[in-house]
Amino acid sequence: MKRRSTVALSLVVVLAAALTAATSGATQRAAANNITVWLQVDAQSGWPDLVASVNKQFQSAHPGATVNVQYQNWGDHLQKFDATIAGNSVPDVIEMGNTEMTKYMAAGAFAPLDKSTFDNSANWLKGLAASGKFGGKTYGVPYYAGSRVVTYRTDLFKKAGIKKLPASTAEYVADAKKLAATSSKKGFSPVYIAGTDWYVAMGFVFDYGGGIATEVSGKWKGLLDSPKSIAGLTAYKNFFDATSKASKTTDESHPNPYDVYAQGGAASMIGQSWFTCCVGAKYKASTAQFVMPGHVKGQALPGFLGGSDLAVPASSQNKALAAEWIKDFTSTASEKTLQAKGNIPNATNLLGSSVNERAAARSWFVPTAKHWVDVENGNILRNMLAQILNGKLSVKQAAASASDNIARVLNQD
Amino acid sequence: MLDSSTNAAAGTLVSASRRRRRARDRALHGVVPFLLILPVVAVIGVILGYPLYWLVKLSTERYGLFELIQHKGVWVGLDNYRSVLGDAVFWRTLLRTVVFTIANVALTMVLGTLIALLLVRVSSWVRLVLSSGLVLVWAMPVVVAVQVWYWMTNFQNGVVNYVLTELHIGDFFQHDWYATTFSQLSLTTMLIVWGALPFVVITLYAGLAQVPGDLIEAAEVDGARSWRIFFDITLPILKPILLILTSLSIIWDFGVFTQPYLLIGQSKITTGNYLMSIYLFEEGYFKSDFGRGAAISILMLLIVAALSVVYVRKMVRMGEASA
Amino acid sequence: MSAPRRARRARQAGWDAVGLLVFAVMVFPVFWMISTALKPDDQIISETPTWLPLQPTLKHFRDAIERPFFWEDVKNSLIVVLATVAISIVLAFLAAIALARYGFSGRKLFIVLVIGIQMLPQAGLIIPLYVVLGRYHQVNALSGLIITYLTFVLPFCVWTLRGFLLGIPKELEEAAMVDGSTRLGVFVKILLPLMGPGLVATSVFAFITTWNEYIFARVLLNDQSKQTVTVWLSYFLGTSKHTDWGALMAASTLTAVPVIIFFLLVQRRVVFGLTAGAVRG
Repeated sequence: MKRRSTVALSLVVVLAAALTAATSGATQRAAANNITVWLQVDAQSGWPDLVASVNKQFQSAHPGATVNVQYQNWGDHLQKFDATIAGNSVPDVIEMGNTEMTKYMAAGAFAPLDKSTFDNSANWLKGLAASGKFGGKTYGVPYYAGSRVVTYRTDLFKKAGIKKLPASTAEYVADAKKLAATSSKKGFSPVYIAGTDWYVAMGFVFDYGGGIATEVSGKWKGLLDSPKSIAGLTAYKNFFDATSKASKTTDESHPNPYDVYAQGGAASMIGQSWFTCCVGAKYKASTAQFVMPGHVKGQALPGFLGGSDLAVPASSQNKALAAEWIKDFTSTASEKTLQAKGNIPNATNLLGSSVNERAAARSWFVPTAKHWVDVENGNILRNMLAQILNGKLSVKQAAASASDNIARVLNQD
Repeated sequence: MLDSSTNAAAGTLVSASRRRRRARDRALHGVVPFLLILPVVAVIGVILGYPLYWLVKLSTERYGLFELIQHKGVWVGLDNYRSVLGDAVFWRTLLRTVVFTIANVALTMVLGTLIALLLVRVSSWVRLVLSSGLVLVWAMPVVVAVQVWYWMTNFQNGVVNYVLTELHIGDFFQHDWYATTFSQLSLTTMLIVWGALPFVVITLYAGLAQVPGDLIEAAEVDGARSWRIFFDITLPILKPILLILTSLSIIWDFGVFTQPYLLIGQSKITTGNYLMSIYLFEEGYFKSDFGRGAAISILMLLIVAALSVVYVRKMVRMGEASA
Repeated sequence: MSAPRRARRARQAGWDAVGLLVFAVMVFPVFWMISTALKPDDQIISETPTWLPLQPTLKHFRDAIERPFFWEDVKNSLIVVLATVAISIVLAFLAAIALARYGFSGRKLFIVLVIGIQMLPQAGLIIPLYVVLGRYHQVNALSGLIITYLTFVLPFCVWTLRGFLLGIPKELEEAAMVDGSTRLGVFVKILLPLMGPGLVATSVFAFITTWNEYIFARVLLNDQSKQTVTVWLSYFLGTSKHTDWGALMAASTLTAVPVIIFFLLVQRRVVFGLTAGAVRG
């Protein structure tokens, strides 16, 4: 009995081992002219026709080539990308968020591209172009961007007697006092900003000439404790205290500013330009946008330039074709279509005069550090803002501690 | 004509064939269990063999994004384990998760048993309604369930705040249920227990259905009280199922990820409210430190095994008696 | 009506009321999901909760169904789930019989394997599993997903079915064998009917777990025409813009329908009543 069972068991084990070992690196050979493109689902819901027409154009210019577009989710596309890297079946083109690029570029995930072959590359938006560069080489082609603007209730502004839109934060604060009187709702905000909305808060920091971190001979140094940054943070605190009744400790998606606005809880809000989609039927007609002003009259507050880049993974089998597809997808004509859909195109010479685009004229971006995503994930900036607004720490103390933390995280190996 | 010699000959023939049959039975008896478990072992072996090997190998290497792209890690021995075991956050998180698991499992098993007993008592139409309702709860995708819970409990316009204020239990206007770690984890516990009850209730109910009705009736006729019946008749029969459900609940609640991560929200997750699975995610996979992630996974496996060993051993011994 | 009968009726009504109360409390979030699916957008984010959708709209259901590949993905989910459930119940039942009724060396090892796999955090297995399946050309294939799900569902099914088997006394089978029944006869006539409830509970669990599984489906399936309905559902939340909550709630309500149908079909096998499953003598 015992011998038979041992034999049986060992047979099973050998079988399993043999099957797993028998697979000696039979990687999937990509068809000679087939490229796989990963775009986020935003493209499928926003501009599917553009994708279709670019594919058609590409296929007619490269007879025999096929394009397989696969749509991804922002939440897990990197997890899937990692799996394909391990399994040697990477896509040939991948859309990456501009804050996601640096970590992957530093690890050698992408193939270098020849910048000059892409349309308008000399005029690429600084914030986007910086996110695609590493070690002097270009790895990412700017795809499209979005900035932050003020969405406001024209009827409430009229009711408050505001004749001209504010051209500086001081004017806006004065306007906010008038706006506060236009509604008796409990917790009404003249300007709704979530306390820990660091995308808005850092705009103030950059407006005063400060910064988050800078690289000095290979090492990162925190800038939040510099006098200019502290001036910016103080200005943010004052602006928030004067205009927003939002929670000081919660972020900009709990609740969504546009939900508060749609419930009549705010006269204006600072956020992405697509917020107008969700202001509710009641206020749709009386909603408009303007560029958030900075502390200097006539100058915009630097807005966070969020956006996407397109890159070619290093182990792709069709790098040349992939680069050509990207060229077609970011051509001037293509960018104009994206612009018509409400996005900011990737080059300054293409910029129009929509509020979103005018806001992009003055923008800021996060430090292009390998470990920046760890700073974001560790909520260092959010915690600093909560402490400042709560009065738990003075601006100087909170900024100093955050600055040290950021430098520590960015400098880890 | 069956005379004694024919009888004797026939008798020898019969007993020989019976002996052969018994020998064949014994032979089959030896091979049969292996044949029965072979498909399961084959599937698991073929699919999980390499991943398990990879996990163990990776836990001894420095394997980040760079190494992933190079398809080659750097051997570092037990450094990953040392770094995790030397991390104070790991130990605090472990303690927190153990307490969390105990609370979740206790609530799930107690409430689950009570509702399963309730299912037995009610009329058949109520039984159908309640069990269908439980299946609906079970069928809700976790992400959607978390979102609905968030809507119910959010400080801005959640129904919980609204109802509590309207019922004059207190002023809960814009009360933030996610302000402290304790309330964050309590709400997460409620969500998880709510989601786990259907499986426990329906499985226990299926177990209760195996309890012989005659026994219960006989005991009732003899005048036994219902709690006596429960403890003396029902509970012993339910014991294997209860042990299974408890051990499974321990395993699942220790490693639960989606509910706490989404309900508390990424911006409120800190080292002060980590649970083990979130610690694994943050310290391992989010940082693309796959080596460390593998080490944490294996440590979690060992810890969960230690936590559930009492129940598992009872289950294993139970089977031995009947084998 | 006699007094004791009236008392029994009242007690029964009392239990029924408790049962309905438990139902109401448990089902409230599901009710909220369905009612949100029927509410117009303004009522979804209204400050004072709108309890009942008094002006219901089917717009969200239309929006959900019109999203690309809905029907294909439902079909794929059904194929994957039914195959997984069918195969896993059969294989797990066989293995559970081996564990519960036979002694054999390596038994303990098998049990350790079964319970150990369930203790492994799945996150770490995603990448190597993708690599293994890639080698067998099982990526972007429903068969690859089915075999992955089998791997995770089988241990649980074996473990649970063994528990149910242990609840059935061995004397039953031995008595039948003495009566001259074959082993197969015992299996079909005695074991199978008594295992009815256990098989149902386990298969419902297998169904729901595989129906709602997300991350492996996401990573292993590339073409939208091959994806399952949970991946289809994730696209509602995967955008960088706002989420259409009404459509998501409608979509989730729709994805719960096959589960409920499956349960209603199999639950009749679960004996609703302690009088059945009786042991004779």
